[in-house]
Amino acid sequence: MTDQQTKTKPQKKSEFLSFGSWHLLMTFFGLTMLIPFVWMVLTSLKPLAELGNDSWLPSEAQWQNYKEVFSVIPFGRFYWNSLFIASWVTFLQVLTSSLAAFSFSRLQWPGRDKVFLLYLSTMMLPGLVMLIPNYQIMVKLGLVNTMPGLILPAAFSAFGTFLLRQFMLTIPSSLDEAAEIDGASKWRVFWEVILPLSRPGLITLTIFTFMGNYHSFFWPLVMMRSVEKYTLPIGLLFFDSERGQSTHLLMAAVTMSVLPLVIIFVVLQKYLTKGIQLGGVKG
Amino acid sequence: MANVRTRQLFVGLGFILPNILGFLTFTLVPLVVSFTLAFSNWDLHLHNMFRDEPLRFLGLDNFKELFHHPDFWQYFGNTLFLMMGIPFSMAGSLGAALLLSKDSKTKTDLLKPKLLAGAVMLSCFLVILCLGLEMSAMFLLLSLLFGGIVIGGVLGGITVYRTLFYMPAFTAGVATYILWKKLYNPQVGPFNQVLRPFLDSLTSLVQSMPVWVMSGLSVFLVVAIFIIAASYISKLGRFWRTEEVGWLTLLFALLITLVPIFFASKVIQHWHLGFILSVAVIAVMGWEVWSSLFSGRKPVRDRAKGMGEHLMLSVLLLIANFSLIGISLVIWNLPSMASDGLNPPEWLTDFHWAKPSLMIMMLWMAIGSNNMILYLAGLTNISPELYEAAEIDGASRFQRFWHVTWPQLAPVTFFIFVMSMIHGLQGGFEIARTMTEGGPAGATTTLSYSVYIEGFETGRLGYASAVAWALFVLVLAVTLFNFKFGNRNTND
Repeated sequence: MTDQQTKTKPQKKSEFLSFGSWHLLMTFFGLTMLIPFVWMVLTSLKPLAELGNDSWLPSEAQWQNYKEVFSVIPFGRFYWNSLFIASWVTFLQVLTSSLAAFSFSRLQWPGRDKVFLLYLSTMMLPGLVMLIPNYQIMVKLGLVNTMPGLILPAAFSAFGTFLLRQFMLTIPSSLDEAAEIDGASKWRVFWEVILPLSRPGLITLTIFTFMGNYHSFFWPLVMMRSVEKYTLPIGLLFFDSERGQSTHLLMAAVTMSVLPLVIIFVVLQKYLTKGIQLGGVKG
Repeated sequence: MANVRTRQLFVGLGFILPNILGFLTFTLVPLVVSFTLAFSNWDLHLHNMFRDEPLRFLGLDNFKELFHHPDFWQYFGNTLFLMMGIPFSMAGSLGAALLLSKDSKTKTDLLKPKLLAGAVMLSCFLVILCLGLEMSAMFLLLSLLFGGIVIGGVLGGITVYRTLFYMPAFTAGVATYILWKKLYNPQVGPFNQVLRPFLDSLTSLVQSMPVWVMSGLSVFLVVAIFIIAASYISKLGRFWRTEEVGWLTLLFALLITLVPIFFASKVIQHWHLGFILSVAVIAVMGWEVWSSLFSGRKPVRDRAKGMGEHLMLSVLLLIANFSLIGISLVIWNLPSMASDGLNPPEWLTDFHWAKPSLMIMMLWMAIGSNNMILYLAGLTNISPELYEAAEIDGASRFQRFWHVTWPQLAPVTFFIFVMSMIHGLQGGFEIARTMTEGGPAGATTTLSYSVYIEGFETGRLGYASAVAWALFVLVLAVTLFNFKFGNRNTND
C-alpha cells in the first residue's frame, strides 16, 4: 500500500509541506494520540502516595504494582477467560463462516441469492433488538453464567460470511474448475483449493473476531454472574467499582489488558487495513 | 435434471448448515420473539418463577408510552447530541488521511532523514539544557518521546504514523474508557492539572481586556455562521442553475441551513434578527434562481437530484454551525465568568459537561479509526492524471482539493457518514455503563443504555423491546436513505 501510494502521487503535491515540517506535524499529532497511554503507563508505576501529585512521573518505578494486581483481583483468571472465549469464538466463527462463504460464492443452488440477501439484511439489525430474547433462550437452555453461553451465540456471524464471500469471489474460478475436472469433490475443492487461497481473508477475519470478542462487553455483562467467570472488560469494570481509588493498580490492569492488542496490531496491521477496505468500500 | 438440482441444493445447504442453525437460533427466532415482546406487558415483576400471571398483549401501548415519556425524548436527544461529534471526527479522519498520503519518504536520500533526526535530538537536548534540569523530568520525557517519534517516522515513514494514529481506535474498549474516566477526574486527573495554571492566566488575560473585545469576537462568530450558510446556499442556487440539483434538494438544504440561524436568534432573544438573516439567505439564493429563470431555462426534471450528498452536507454544516453558536456563547459569557476566577470543568460529573467530555474522547478514538483507513484507500484510488490536468489548468492547492479530491472521495465520505450515523444511533452503551452510569441526571443515557436499564435492571422486558424496535426504525431510516441515495452517488 505504501509503495503504491508514493508511486501514484504526483511529486509536486508534497511541496506544500516540506519534508521536515511534515514530519514535525505528524509527530505532534502522533504525540496527541499517545499522551493518554503515556499517562496510563506512568501512573501504573506510581506508589499510592504519589497519585495526586502534579508530576506524572513516579519518584521510583513501582514494578510490583503489576504483581499486586494479580493478588487484589483474580486478574489472571479474567485474562484466561477472555483468551479462552475469544479463541473458541474465533475458531468456530471462522469455520462456520468459511463453509457458508464457500457455499454462497462457489456453489450453485436454487434460492442461494435469496438466502444470502436474508443474511445480509440481518447485518443491519441492531444487536440490541435480539438481546433480550437471546438472554431468555440462554435461561431456557440453562446456559446463563457458563462459558458455552458466551461462546455459542457469537460463533455464527453474517459479517464473517460476507467478508469471506467477498474475498472468495476474487479467487479465479478456473482454479477450482480445474480441480473438479480432475475429479475432486466439492469438499476437496473447498479444503484443498479455496481455503488455502483465502488465507489472507481468513487471517483478517480471525483478527477482527478475536479483537471483537476480546473487547466484548454487553453479552458477558448480562450473562456472567460469578466473579471467577468474568472476562477482562467485566473484570476491569468490577475492579473499578470495587477499588476505584487505587488508580495505580487499575492503570496497571488497564495497561496489561491493552498490551496484547497493541502487539497484535503492530504485528498484523497489514492484514487489518486490507480487511477494512474489503469489508468497507465494497459494502 | 431435477435430480441434479436437488443434489446441488443439498450440497449447498450442507455447507451452510452449521451457520444457518446458529443464524436461526440466535438471530431469526430472537427477532420474531422480540417483535412480539414489544407489544406485550412482559415484566419480570409480574412474570417470574414465584408469580406467573398470564402474558397480556397491549397492542401499541408500549409505543404510546414511549412517545409520551419525557425520558425517552431526553435519551433520544442525548443520542443525537453525541452524534454531533460525527462531522468533526470525519473531518479529522480526512485530514489525517490527507496528511498521511503526503508521504515524502521515497523522495529523499538517506542523508536528509539522518540530518533531521539529529537536528531534532540536538534541539531537544539544547532546550533541556537551556531551561535547566529543574524544568522537571516530565519535560525531558516529552522531548524524548517527541524525538523518538520523529526518528521513528523519518525511518519508518507512513507506517509509524499510521500505527500511532490508529492506536486509540484499535484499543478502544472498556480499558480505554476507564483510562479516560481517570483522565477526567476533576481533582487529581491530568486534564485539570494541566488546565488549572492555563485557566489562571486566561482569567487575568480576560480581566485585563475590555469587554467589547469578547463580545466583538462572539458577534463575529455569529456573522461567520451567517456567511457560511449564505455561501452554501448561494452555491446550491448556482448548482440548481447548472442542473446539478433539483428544487426539492434545494428546499430541504435551505430549511436545514436556516435552523442554526433561528436557534442563534432565539438564544440571544432577538427573533426579528433571525427573520432578517433568513430573508437575506433566501434572497442570496433567490438571486441565483431568479436570474436563471429569466434566462429562459426549464427547471430540472429530477426534483430530488443530488439529494443524498446535499442532505449530508447540510447536516454536517448544521452541526458545525451549532458548535460555532456554542463557542460564541462561551466567549460572550467569558468576562462575567472570569470576574470570579475560571475553574476547570467537572467533566463527567457536571450535567452540562458530561456529553462534551464524552465527545472529546470519542473524537480522539475516531480520528485514526477505520474511517481514516477508508479515506486513505480512497485517496490512493484517485487517478494522478486528474491532479496533473488540474495543475495544467493552473488550479491552486485549495481548488485541487475542492474540485478533484473532494468529489472523488464523495462515495467514501457518504459511506462513512451513513455508517457513523448507524453506529451513533446504537452507540453509547459501553461508555455510559463504564464511565458515567448514564448520569449525571440521565445526561449521558443513550437509547441503547436505556434498553439495558429497562430490560436488565427494571425488568420491563416488553417496554425495553419496544425501545429497541424504535431504535431499529431509526437505523432502518438511515439505511434506506443510504439505499436511495448511496448508489446514485457512487455512480457519479
